[in-house]
Amino acid sequence: MMSFDQNAFLIIFTASMISISCGLLGVFMMLRKMSMTGDAISHAVLPGIVIGFFVSGSQRGLEVIIGAGILGILATLMIDWLRRKARVQLDASIGITFTLLFAIGIILINLLAYKVDLDQECVLYGEIAYLPIDLWITGGGQNMGPRIMYLALLNLILVGGFIYLFFKELTVTSFDENFSMVIGIPAGVINLGLMSMVSYTTVSSFEAVGAILVVALLVVPPATAFLWTKKLNQLIKITIGIGIGIAILGYYLAYFFDSSIAGMVVSVAGIVFLASALYKSKLFSNRFGTSTKQESFGN
Amino acid sequence: MIPVRIILPLLLFIFASCKFENPEERLKPQIVTTTSILADGIRNLVGDSAEVVALMPAGVDPHLYKASARDLDLLQNADLVIYHGLFLEGKMTEIFEKLEFSQVLINVSEKIPNDRLLRSGPEAHSVDPHIWFDVNLWSMAMAHAAEEIILWKPNWKTSIEKNAAVFQSKLSDLNQETAKKMEELKRSNQALITAHDAFAYFGRAYGIEVLGLQGLSTLSEPGLRDLTGLVQFIVSRKIKAVFAEQTISPKAIEAVVAGCKNQNHEIKLAGPLFTDSLGDPNGSAGTYIGMVNTNVNVIFESLKP
Repeated sequence: MMSFDQNAFLIIFTASMISISCGLLGVFMMLRKMSMTGDAISHAVLPGIVIGFFVSGSQRGLEVIIGAGILGILATLMIDWLRRKARVQLDASIGITFTLLFAIGIILINLLAYKVDLDQECVLYGEIAYLPIDLWITGGGQNMGPRIMYLALLNLILVGGFIYLFFKELTVTSFDENFSMVIGIPAGVINLGLMSMVSYTTVSSFEAVGAILVVALLVVPPATAFLWTKKLNQLIKITIGIGIGIAILGYYLAYFFDSSIAGMVVSVAGIVFLASALYKSKLFSNRFGTSTKQESFGN
Repeated sequence: MIPVRIILPLLLFIFASCKFENPEERLKPQIVTTTSILADGIRNLVGDSAEVVALMPAGVDPHLYKASARDLDLLQNADLVIYHGLFLEGKMTEIFEKLEFSQVLINVSEKIPNDRLLRSGPEAHSVDPHIWFDVNLWSMAMAHAAEEIILWKPNWKTSIEKNAAVFQSKLSDLNQETAKKMEELKRSNQALITAHDAFAYFGRAYGIEVLGLQGLSTLSEPGLRDLTGLVQFIVSRKIKAVFAEQTISPKAIEAVVAGCKNQNHEIKLAGPLFTDSLGDPNGSAGTYIGMVNTNVNVIFESLKP
């Protein structure tokens, strides 16, 4: 019998919202060659969690999430600072930043919380399979439905609004920072805004769906879209389409094989990317790759 | 007017969320528990009157458990959900507390008196959840589970009370047997040294000194000072064996063995002990009682004079 499955709807709907938020930001991160910032943030939040834990005295306090968010922004700022002021290569500055912050987190755990089960895995990362029963219960005991769905919707509205309002500024600063300064766009402020959005989105989505899915959603759909087009508008549309497609396909494959949803969505994303890359490399073997933005963005 | 570009994806989502379902007829009520240790206890209580399924299969460390897509269906379709509590289930504990809105739910550890719990700090989650290593505490938890199941199915009262009495007497035998063996080890001044701090309740209940190489969190790695301190301790007390654990890589504990060798103290690496999950269902550690027996025998045989 064919019937409407509410759980499937909630999971696919929320996963799609998260993958759109991540994909939108991912496109601009990719243009800036900062795709791996999400991965860096997933490690760099550890000291924030430990400090949040000591402020609130609980592993589940809001302080822990806020601590993680602040460390996320700090990490992106540090990456940017290392790149600009210390003139360190970008990938190296990402590596320096997150290993340093993660190491500080481990030392803090060893010094302060040795006897407490405290790490991102059990404090921050959520499990998308349990999203429909992780309810938002109001103070009056009212059941408002899945908590994560509201968080993802709020996140999508903020990210979408940010990109809609600052689309021109984001585009110009992504391609040519010096030019943007000349025409009076404060590249630093825009950059800070984008980094804060990335940090907020990653921490908020970590709580919803776990780390690996967020890191993958920031990188893989934009990279795949990049294989198909070099126009920014198209890039965004294809990224959104891929985000929704892998959420639906990933969920059903996971259901079919009774395995991890996040793992399956990431695998599907990877396969879609590989298939696109193979197809494209066969047709246009000379235009293979994702780093040729100068080639056609001039128009 | 809502634009088409919003309506279309929504329709897609709704369509995508439909699936073929075979409405299954269930002959017995289904009880879902979190760990395999818990499932075994509940099976002893309900006997054949219900089907008991564990969310985390045998051999899986509860700290490392990852939900699969159908676990949600399992939870939502269960007639009764039983969980361990004391934050053993990590972040899922919050979710279980919310499941109360839709599901009959039993937290087996909720009636354990506060002063019997080991804790590292004043906060709720700093409790050590490994209460099943103290057979006495575990039989308290099982007694609570029996009471709650009777509240849920009053017409099972007689059979559950009978099963519970049998199970409790087995547990009490197990407790005495364990205490007797550990008493002997204590007299020969031995200590139980394991890879992580899971045996604190065991040590307290049976009076044997317990040392873990690693803290409770899986992230905290053993420091150099921990290692040398432990080696000093082993050499000075002439400890005969250290123990690997089934769900933890033996690498760190192997370093202890090597460290002792350097100090000319031969020590055996015994085990692995079963800690957070039962062993193979057909093996000797396939039940809770079997698991405790296996552990106690390994410890006893390796450390006895």
